[in-house]
Amino acid sequence: MNITLKPTETFRGDFSTRNSDAAILRFPFPFPEDVYMYAVNIEPHVPGGPTEAFTAAFDIDEHYIGECHDRALTLIDDPARCQVLPHMMEAEWDTLELLMESLAKDYPTLFTLTKDGDIWRWQNHPLGIDQTFSFGQPETLPYPPFEYITRQVQGDFTIQDHRDNNLYMDGGMVTSQADWSLNFDLGMSFHEWHGPVPVAHELGVFDRALAYLLRLQYGKPVRRLNWTLTVNPRLDTSPENYPLWGPDKATITPENIREKMCLRVELQTLTRLPRSNAILFGIRGYLIRLEELVRVKKYAKRMHRVLRDLHPEIVEYKGMPRYRQMIIDYLAPFDDGEILSSGTQPDQTSL
Amino acid sequence: MKARIQNIRSLSATIKHITLAPDAEDSFPAGAAGAFILLEIPGPGRVWKNAYSLVSGAGRRQYEIIVRRVAQSRGGSAWLHDHAEPGQLLEISGPANLFPIARAAQKHLLLSAGIGITPFLSYLPVLQRQNAAFELHHCCKLDEQEVFRPLLPKAPNITLHGSRNSLDLMTLLSAQKLNTHLYVCGPEAFMDVTIAAAKRIGWPDAKIHEESFGGATGGASFIVKLARSAMELHVAEDQTLLEALEDAGLAPPRMCRGGACGVCELPVLGGLPDHHDHYLSAAARAAGKSIMTCVSRAKTPELVLDF
Amino acid sequence: MGLNKSRPIYEKLRIDPQGRAHLIVTDLEALPQDTIEANLALSNIEIWVVARIARGIAASPSGSRAFRSVADLLSHLSFHLAREPVGLRLYAAGTEAFLWDVANTARAAGLGKDEIFLTQAGSLRRRVYCTHCKSMNEDAVANIATCRACGARLFVRDHFSRRLAAFMGVMVDAEVPNEIPEIEVIYP
Repeated sequence: MNITLKPTETFRGDFSTRNSDAAILRFPFPFPEDVYMYAVNIEPHVPGGPTEAFTAAFDIDEHYIGECHDRALTLIDDPARCQVLPHMMEAEWDTLELLMESLAKDYPTLFTLTKDGDIWRWQNHPLGIDQTFSFGQPETLPYPPFEYITRQVQGDFTIQDHRDNNLYMDGGMVTSQADWSLNFDLGMSFHEWHGPVPVAHELGVFDRALAYLLRLQYGKPVRRLNWTLTVNPRLDTSPENYPLWGPDKATITPENIREKMCLRVELQTLTRLPRSNAILFGIRGYLIRLEELVRVKKYAKRMHRVLRDLHPEIVEYKGMPRYRQMIIDYLAPFDDGEILSSGTQPDQTSL
Repeated sequence: MKARIQNIRSLSATIKHITLAPDAEDSFPAGAAGAFILLEIPGPGRVWKNAYSLVSGAGRRQYEIIVRRVAQSRGGSAWLHDHAEPGQLLEISGPANLFPIARAAQKHLLLSAGIGITPFLSYLPVLQRQNAAFELHHCCKLDEQEVFRPLLPKAPNITLHGSRNSLDLMTLLSAQKLNTHLYVCGPEAFMDVTIAAAKRIGWPDAKIHEESFGGATGGASFIVKLARSAMELHVAEDQTLLEALEDAGLAPPRMCRGGACGVCELPVLGGLPDHHDHYLSAAARAAGKSIMTCVSRAKTPELVLDF
Repeated sequence: MGLNKSRPIYEKLRIDPQGRAHLIVTDLEALPQDTIEANLALSNIEIWVVARIARGIAASPSGSRAFRSVADLLSHLSFHLAREPVGLRLYAAGTEAFLWDVANTARAAGLGKDEIFLTQAGSLRRRVYCTHCKSMNEDAVANIATCRACGARLFVRDHFSRRLAAFMGVMVDAEVPNEIPEIEVIYP
C-alpha cells in the first residue's frame, strides 16, 4: 500500500484536515442499500473489500500523524480516556503483539518489529519512535503496554473480557468516540454498554450479536460498519467534552453545511486475543465532509435516500433533529433517482 | 496450518508426550492457558480430527500435547501411539480456548483426574508467574503416580493423590472462601461426582469451570437426511455425524469437536437426537430441536436436519 | 427512548435454595416487607439493618444486627465476606445507590453475579455522575440535576453504571445555553 502521510493536520480549533481524492475513493461508505436499519451486519475481516480501507488488519491512512497527535492532546486533558482494569494485563500484551505484528507486516515502510527472544525492538518511522523493550515486562515501556501501542494506532480500542457467558468492557483507549464515555461504561456487560441504543434491542440484534461474538475464534477476526454524523471533523466528540462541541451543532446553516457536516463511519473489527481469550474491539473512525462525499456520485444519491427515510428514533439517537432537513435539502439536487448498484463500492475510479 | 512432529517421549505404555514445531512459519500463534488444538490424524481411508489440550505455556516456538491411547480408539490416539514419528507433518488448527483461567477469581482450586491434568499443565506457569493463589489436586491410579509426578512442580499447594479416595472432596470444598473458583477436568464420573459435591454446599454455577473431551466415541449407525442439501448419508458406527457430513464434501459449521463450543449446532426437523454434548441446556436437549453434530447421534434410525 | 438495557431490573427478595447460608442487608431500619417473598424465620438467615444512631446496637444471637450508618454496615460487610466460606448468598434491599455499593463491596470480596441478589425498596432517587467533572451527586429526584461540584445542569440519562453505582449526567444545555426542558420530579 502506497500512502503519503500528511505531516500536520488538526481535528480541533481550525480543523485543517481535508481528504485527498485518494482518501475519498477509499472511504468506507456504510450504506449498501437505499434504506438503513440496524442489523447484525458482521462479516469476516479478511483482506479486501469494497474500498482500500478494508485491505489491512488495522488501516493506516494519510491522517495517521494528525490523529495520533490529537489523541495525545486529549490524553493530556483527561488521562481517564485510557483505562484498563488490573486483571487484563495479559490482554494488554496480546493487543501490543497483535498491533505491532500487523502494522509491521502490512506497512513495512512505516513500522519495523525486530525480535530477539523476548527482547523486542519497535520502530515507528512516521512518529520517530525507536523502542527496545522486554515482552511481558511492563516496566520496560514508557506507558502500560495497551496504552503504549494504542497511542500509535488510529482509531479507538476496547478490550472485552469473556466470562460468565458474556463480554465485559474491561479496558479501552477512547479519544475519538461518538458520544460515549469509557469512564462511565468501563466494566459493563455487552447489553449494558449498548443500553442507550434504541430499536436494536427490540429487534434482538444484541442477543444475536453477543451469541456470535462469544464463539469468535482465534485467527478469524470479523468486522462491521457503524455510522453517525458529526459537525466539523472533530475526533473527540465525547460526552465529557460535550460543553465544547455541543455548541457547534447550533452553528449549522444551509450555507456552511457542505463544509461543516461530516459523515463519521466506524470500521469496527473484533479479534480474539490468544493468551487472555479476551476480544479486542477496534473502532476505526473516518470523517468525510459532505462536500467531499458528494464527489462520489453514488454516495451522494444514496446518502440522500438513507437520511430522507431514516427511522425517527435513530434520527433522535444520532443527534440529528437540528439539521437533518438541511442535509436532505443539500443532497437532494445530487439525486436524480437513478437505480444504484447494491453494495458500498464507489463505482468510479477517479473524481 | 502445518506442524512437524519434533519429538515423541513415552511417559508410560499408554501415554505419550508429543512436541510439534511450526513447519513454514517462524512461530505458532500464542496458545493461552487452557487452549486446545485439533490434530488431523491420517487413518485407513479417512482422517481423524482430535482435540488435545496444549500443555505448554504461551511459548510460540512449539506446541506440546499429551496423548493417552484410548482403549477403544477410533483411530486418532492409536495412530499417534503406533505410527507417529519425529519429522512427520500434520495439519493442525490454531488454538481455541473453552477453558480459560477466570481472571476475576481471587483463588483457583484445580481438581483433575487421569489425563484431565493436561489443561492444568498450561495453567501452572501462568498462575505461578502471576503469584496467584491456587491449589491443584490431581487424582490418578496408584500405578500411574510415577507417570504424573514428574509433570507436577514440587510445591505445597500441588498434591498428587494415588487414588480418588485419598482426596477428601467435601472437606476440601467446604473449606474454600467466597472468592474461589473451581476448575474440574477428568473422566466423566470424576467430573460428575466433583461438581455434584460442590453444588451441594452451595457453590454457584458461574464459579464452576469444567472441561471434558470425551463424547465422540461412536455408537449405533444411523441415516441422516439433509433437507436443504437434499442428501441422505449413512453415519457409520465409528464415525461422528459431523465427520459423515464432511466426508460427503459438505462444510458444516464446527470448531471444538468435543461438544463444548456450540459452533456446530444444526436444527433438527425429524427424528430424535441422542445428545452427548456439554453445550445445550437441559430444556434445549429435551426439546430436541437442535443437535451438536460433533458428538451427538440419533436415538431413531433416521434423523432429518435443516442443512 | 426505547427499552434500555443498562438500567437494572430488580425483583422481589427471594431466598436462593442453592445457597448454604444467607445474609440480607438493607439501608432501612427494618426490612421492607412489601418487597420480600421469603420465610425469614429460617435458621441460616442473618439480617443486617441500619439504625442510624450513634450508640449503635450490639449484635444479638438471633442472627440480626443493626449498624450506626450505611458506611458502618459496608465496612463490616467487607470483613465478613473475606472470612465466609463458599455457599453464602448475599441479598440487599434498599435504594439503588446502596444496592450497588453493596454489590461492589461483594465483588471486591470475590462474589459473582449468582451470589448477589438486589431488591429496590424505599425512595427511587438517583445518584448522578457528572460526566464533565467526574463528581457524584446524591439523591437526584428530577429529570434535570445541578452538579454540586461544577454547576453544570445535567440531564439524567437512563444509562446506569454498576461500577460507579450511578446514572449518567450530561450537560442539558450544551448546544444552546439555557435551553432547558421543563424540570419534572420523576424519581421520588
